[in-house]
Amino acid sequence: MPLPPTPTITGTSSARRPALTAGSLTATAMMAPALILIGVFILIPAVVAVIGSFFDFSMTSANWTYVGGDNYRRAVTDPLFWLAISNNVFIVVGSVISQVGGGAILAAILDRGIRRGNVVYRTIIFMPVVISSIAVAFVWMLILDPNVGPLNAVVKALGLPTPRLGWLGDPSISLWMLLLIAAWQNVGFQMMLILAGLQAIPREHYEAASLDGARGLKAFWYITLPGIRNVLVLATLITVIGGFKVFDLVFVTTGGGPANATQVLGTYTYTQAFAFGNMGYANAMAVVLLVTAVLLGWLQVRLSRRA
Amino acid sequence: MSHLEVRDVVKRYGQLTVLSGVSFAAQRGEFVVMVGPSGCGKSTLLRSIAGLEEISSGSVSIAGHDITAAEPSDRGVAMVFQNYALYPHMTVAQNMGFALKVARRPRSEIDAAVTRAAEILRITDHLGKYPKALSGGQKQRVAIGRAITRAPEVFLFDEPLSNLDAALRSQMRIELSRLHRELGATMLYVTHDQTEAMTMADRIIVMNGGNIEQIGSPLDLYNRPATRFVAGFIGSPRMNFIAARVVRLSGRTVGLSLGEGRPLLDLEFAPGETLPVLGDAVTLGIRPEALGDGGEIHLADAEVAVVEALGRETLVYSDAHTLRTTDSESLDGYFAALVPSQSDKRPGQRVSLRADRSAFVVFAADGATLHDASPVHHE
Amino acid sequence: MTLRSRTVAIGLHAVVSLWTLFVLLPVFVMVISAFKSQAELFTRPLALPKQFSFAAFERAWGIGISGFLFNSLLVTALSVTIIIFASSLAAYILARSDRPVMRWVYVAIVAGFAVPLQSVMVPLYQLVSGAGLLNSRLAIALPYAAYGIPFTTMLFYAFFLEFPRELEEAARLDGCGRLEVFFRIVLPLSGPAIASGAIFQAVFNWNEFILALLMLTKSDVRTLPVGIYGLTGQYSADWPALMAGLSIATLPLIVIFLLAQRHFVRSLAGLGK
Repeated sequence: MPLPPTPTITGTSSARRPALTAGSLTATAMMAPALILIGVFILIPAVVAVIGSFFDFSMTSANWTYVGGDNYRRAVTDPLFWLAISNNVFIVVGSVISQVGGGAILAAILDRGIRRGNVVYRTIIFMPVVISSIAVAFVWMLILDPNVGPLNAVVKALGLPTPRLGWLGDPSISLWMLLLIAAWQNVGFQMMLILAGLQAIPREHYEAASLDGARGLKAFWYITLPGIRNVLVLATLITVIGGFKVFDLVFVTTGGGPANATQVLGTYTYTQAFAFGNMGYANAMAVVLLVTAVLLGWLQVRLSRRA
Repeated sequence: MSHLEVRDVVKRYGQLTVLSGVSFAAQRGEFVVMVGPSGCGKSTLLRSIAGLEEISSGSVSIAGHDITAAEPSDRGVAMVFQNYALYPHMTVAQNMGFALKVARRPRSEIDAAVTRAAEILRITDHLGKYPKALSGGQKQRVAIGRAITRAPEVFLFDEPLSNLDAALRSQMRIELSRLHRELGATMLYVTHDQTEAMTMADRIIVMNGGNIEQIGSPLDLYNRPATRFVAGFIGSPRMNFIAARVVRLSGRTVGLSLGEGRPLLDLEFAPGETLPVLGDAVTLGIRPEALGDGGEIHLADAEVAVVEALGRETLVYSDAHTLRTTDSESLDGYFAALVPSQSDKRPGQRVSLRADRSAFVVFAADGATLHDASPVHHE
Repeated sequence: MTLRSRTVAIGLHAVVSLWTLFVLLPVFVMVISAFKSQAELFTRPLALPKQFSFAAFERAWGIGISGFLFNSLLVTALSVTIIIFASSLAAYILARSDRPVMRWVYVAIVAGFAVPLQSVMVPLYQLVSGAGLLNSRLAIALPYAAYGIPFTTMLFYAFFLEFPRELEEAARLDGCGRLEVFFRIVLPLSGPAIASGAIFQAVFNWNEFILALLMLTKSDVRTLPVGIYGLTGQYSADWPALMAGLSIATLPLIVIFLLAQRHFVRSLAGLGK
């Protein structure tokens, strides 16, 4: 998710601020609900996850055994952990290309190329963003179902071969199918984000450029691209973070299968914790995700601050 | 006893000093206008009196009560803001009655106060409307009405007319003066527009760089400016400032040379006035209406450069090579004269710049006025 | 228009139209499948149903969707209300106070934004189960609120920076204390920010899955996504009922989205800055 600018806490603008002296107790009280909720349900669990990654414990017992870096050593030697990471990376790269790329193309067309039906197109393309990923997953499972799915019916009707194990059951195809479904759901979001960036470029810049002889590709290169550079970076970061966090879609459609072919960090952590009861090991993998997300989030704040 | 008294008010933001020890007092029923360029501290002072800014030191009292540390609403002040600051989600009547409603006054009292204020301002027809349905002038009336319903000790105005167009502004000036007379209230009014100050004020406070330059009646400031700054700020078109040097001293008479050694001008100064010393750079001030081709003293020969016909009068800018200005806002050698329209000046024409001895004001290098011996002529 | 630019225009239209059709197709399949019989779903997967039958909806409703729907409404309403109140209050202080401690408050909120739910599922589960709050619809609204607050606070923060200070100053002169200024002046005039924040979070919490999966283990307290997921184990072959359930879960959001698109897109564009 994008970030608004950081507050200017020091600075000269304070000249216009009303005096705060009398209300500091009130101010603390007004701040409290948000900070307590964030602290209790986000920050403290994050710290506990880091601590827990150095212990071995099960869901039910209160006994935590200190194991040092064992959980991390276990991850390094666990081929499934590496498979999950590589699947995440596959989804990240594929999503950036398909979602940011696709969103940018659609946004560019809707911004300048098309006048009629613009709002209708935009509305429909954005719509999947509001549909729950559970619904998305099940509907696509129906579409891709080897027995009753319409995709198989169409492909067969065209006389083409269908995958023997089904579109989601074939390990060589299933990840690509997940990419397709993720693109179906998220391209609209990226399109809207980039479209907002495109529309924020003042028309006068294009007019001035065309007086200077820059049209078409030149205008795109010198006006459009610098104008939406920040938005593109932001869209990419959002997609990268989303790719590392992916869970619902994989969990429902393939459950990480077939034969762990689509296992990702989220599902593998869940499996280790709640199917096998390896809470410490799950925490160690969760910390890997946490660190990745925080680093990317930090990058996002840095970049949006510069923007 | 003064109705509003401000004593040694200092306001700092970190390293920056915005008000450096400001003191003044206003009598009950007085209309006091604070004027000065942007950043001079006048708005900060007004907001400090309102309680919207905390002051670093000093005190403020109203009607004998020290209100330096009081909440804004407990100070007995009402404020009219530059951008009206009407609550968009309330009708005109609700806007005007809000303060009384917050104070949990009975419904009947609120209605009566609102009705009375609306009658005074002639906005009774608009009471049920929302602010967005009103014109700029109507919004400003509602903002004033909101102040009136509170029946404050002191009304504070923060550049209330600066968002209105010129015609409406002069009409509202008249209205405000009428309102001040009818209510007999103490009003403190901030503006950067010297015309507003001159036309409405009983007394004007001229501020500059966090200090008060001079306090006085409009004509006082015009005729007896205490500093070069006041002389330049009050009066339109602006006073001419000519660079001069002290070349002769005899008794209380000082000989000044303008430009390259001549002409020589002898001026006698009042007893008690600290005289400049030989070689000092001083500034000679002459209002445009006092400069012309008649008068006792010949200042320079010049060539008419620009002629601005203002209607009743004509403003003539002449280029006098031998004279220099000390005014950063004017061009060197260009001096303005306000002459009757029929005088028929054209660019390129040769003229002689002359003025009467009594029209000169002399400012020392630090900007303070040096008062001359002859009694100052009153208009 | 030249022939070339005409061809280009048609090409561009084609790209957008194709993607639009691709987006519509699964939604279309979901809705029509909900009106079909099991047999018809199999034989004519892409055709409109011969007759619109509500049998699948009745089956779905009967096996628990009605309860899930109620739970989703309850949890979403509760969490969104908490989010709007907590976020707007915090953002207001953040936007108006210049005390140095606010820098740390801001860091805490941004940090809360960066932590993925998936990375804290173990401690969060232990926290909630340890507090005896598993299977409580009211309790799950609290973590939902917590995860919605950072984003919404930043949304409100940007809005309050633009909010005219004079209105607050006028209210202070009119006798309002800090809380009164907020509740009588600022909040009533924050409609656009409230709408954007509420809709965004409503969609998010209505669709939320992981937390609900972890904490709502009993069928009668489950929200729609996890409730429907739970049903598929038992009724795996009943595609029409599943599609009917998903339609019930999805259509309210699509309708809200169509009605309030403006607000939705604003929160997106506003934060893209």
